Amino acid sequence: MNIYDIILKRIKDVRMETGNDEPISNMAASSMLTAEITLISTLLIAVVMLRLLNKTLMIGLVVLVFVLLIVAMPIMPRLKREQNDSLASMSFYVIIGLAIIVTLFYWGNLNV
Amino acid sequence: MNYLIPLMVVIPITCALFLNLLHERTRTVKVISIIVALALPTVPLIANYGVQYFGGYQPLAQDPTIAIGLPTLITGTALNIFHPAITYVFGSAQKLMIVVLGFIALFAIYISLYEVKKASGVYAYLMLMGTASIIAMLLSDDIFNLYVFFEIAALAQVGIVLVSKVDYNYETALKYMILGSIASPLLLIGIALLLGVTGNVNITDIVYSIQHGLVNPQSPVLLMACSLIIFGWLYGTGLPPFHTIKSAMYSKALPTGAALLQAFSVFSFVAIGIIILRIFSYLPFAHVFIIGISLVAMTLGITMAITQTDFKRLIAYLAVGELGYIGIGLGLGTALGITAGLFQAVNEAIITAFLFIGFGTIMYKTKKTDMRKLGGMLVETPKSALLVLLAGLAMAGVPPFNAFQSKLMLVQASLNNGLPEIAIIMVLLSIVTFMTFMRAFHTIYLRPRPADLEIKNEKIPNITLVAMVAFLVVCLVFGLFPQIATNFLQGMAMSIA
Repeated sequence: MNIYDIILKRIKDVRMETGNDEPISNMAASSMLTAEITLISTLLIAVVMLRLLNKTLMIGLVVLVFVLLIVAMPIMPRLKREQNDSLASMSFYVIIGLAIIVTLFYWGNLNV
Repeated sequence: MNYLIPLMVVIPITCALFLNLLHERTRTVKVISIIVALALPTVPLIANYGVQYFGGYQPLAQDPTIAIGLPTLITGTALNIFHPAITYVFGSAQKLMIVVLGFIALFAIYISLYEVKKASGVYAYLMLMGTASIIAMLLSDDIFNLYVFFEIAALAQVGIVLVSKVDYNYETALKYMILGSIASPLLLIGIALLLGVTGNVNITDIVYSIQHGLVNPQSPVLLMACSLIIFGWLYGTGLPPFHTIKSAMYSKALPTGAALLQAFSVFSFVAIGIIILRIFSYLPFAHVFIIGISLVAMTLGITMAITQTDFKRLIAYLAVGELGYIGIGLGLGTALGITAGLFQAVNEAIITAFLFIGFGTIMYKTKKTDMRKLGGMLVETPKSALLVLLAGLAMAGVPPFNAFQSKLMLVQASLNNGLPEIAIIMVLLSIVTFMTFMRAFHTIYLRPRPADLEIKNEKIPNITLVAMVAFLVVCLVFGLFPQIATNFLQGMAMSIA
């Protein structure tokens, strides 16, 4: 099964889970594929910036992230499902975001 | 005294309150709205640079006559240079940004008046109130005063969505208010902590206190204040984790409202972002965080935009993604980076307004925003199709338009900072932005028209086309002569860097 078929299958699975049984157009599948590739390449390039901290750490993390992304692929349908307009989901990410920011600023600046 | 500085805020607020009382008198509403909308870009254009003090006097050091007879406990300490009044600063960067905001508001108000048969005083009230609040945020050197206008702007944005007759607008506006009820109080707590540590709400004085050791810069309370203010900044501007609700807000407003809402987000981003840089730039982590969150915003915004089927939501996500470019510039923290970020902010506000109004013509003709139900619109609206195409090229950073210059400056700034990875990501995401836009353009304008698509047999109002041409001219002028804009912005960038 090639990557296009895997993505198509995954989109169908996600749609089935959300009760959306509309047919998948060629444009929807290719858009999802583009988003997937963009997301993976951006993440990998961003991880390379860790070279400023430690080059060995950077190499290890690039390999790890690459393997994780390949295993978890396709990510975009799941990401899209998470980025919905539900208040519960938005509130969840807002609270998580607040916790991360406070932790990073409070302990990050004092202990790093 | 430079009375034009307070008038930039006072005129739209006063007229907004007056218009709210007149919402049944269509002709009067139109006349007042037209005059006030014209004043929005004109007043800052003719105003001289200066500083305005409200509710107090200038610092004692600047006027020794007030200091005569005061004890050395005051005149011999930092109190001598502190600002007892609420201070508004009108410099060259503020001038450019307020003129651009006024320019967008002018056309948003005019189009809203001419696209409907009965002008709404309430809608004009909300647009003017929001614009006045953002102008005040750009001018204010007082962080509490800024918070007050931040709240007014948030309520005006909710109001703009509420009065737009778009499906599910009430639900989205309510969700935005609920999330705001988490973020806004935390921003206020951050400001209160800052006041508790420094004893001041004037930003210049807070910076002085931190830089001259009057307070401990590593105080945990100060760090907590920083994190809470940044969290409030994310809410106000629509950066992750607020990108979903912000893009929903844009998509549930009318095109004129969406054009203005995104301008509010861009200039709030700049106003609060500059304050964060001025106060907390001594924390290296602040720069890292701004760059990190900007990268997340760019990636999430643009990848989510590709997968949208609603063209308003698509532009909304692109607008969130473009905010990331501004953040990268601010996060780099160099004079070139900050100038590029501010220039990108000015460009993005114009281009996204251009796109919302341009695609708004499709909504005007078909009442549809779902791209799957659209097609063949090139035949129906050839002039606006050409203008929309040019707007899309501008957003993607294609020369000779303005975003090409600002994105090129951002790439240069990141290379100069030794961060080529950021430059590569920005170029990659610009290409994807181009692809996303072309997909939308093809779907709406170029593919065959669906058989069941009903098109209103009404001409697009001339004012809409005039607005689009005006935005195009600004894009071209700033693209061909970027120094016109950057000369205004460099002073502020150099003072922060």
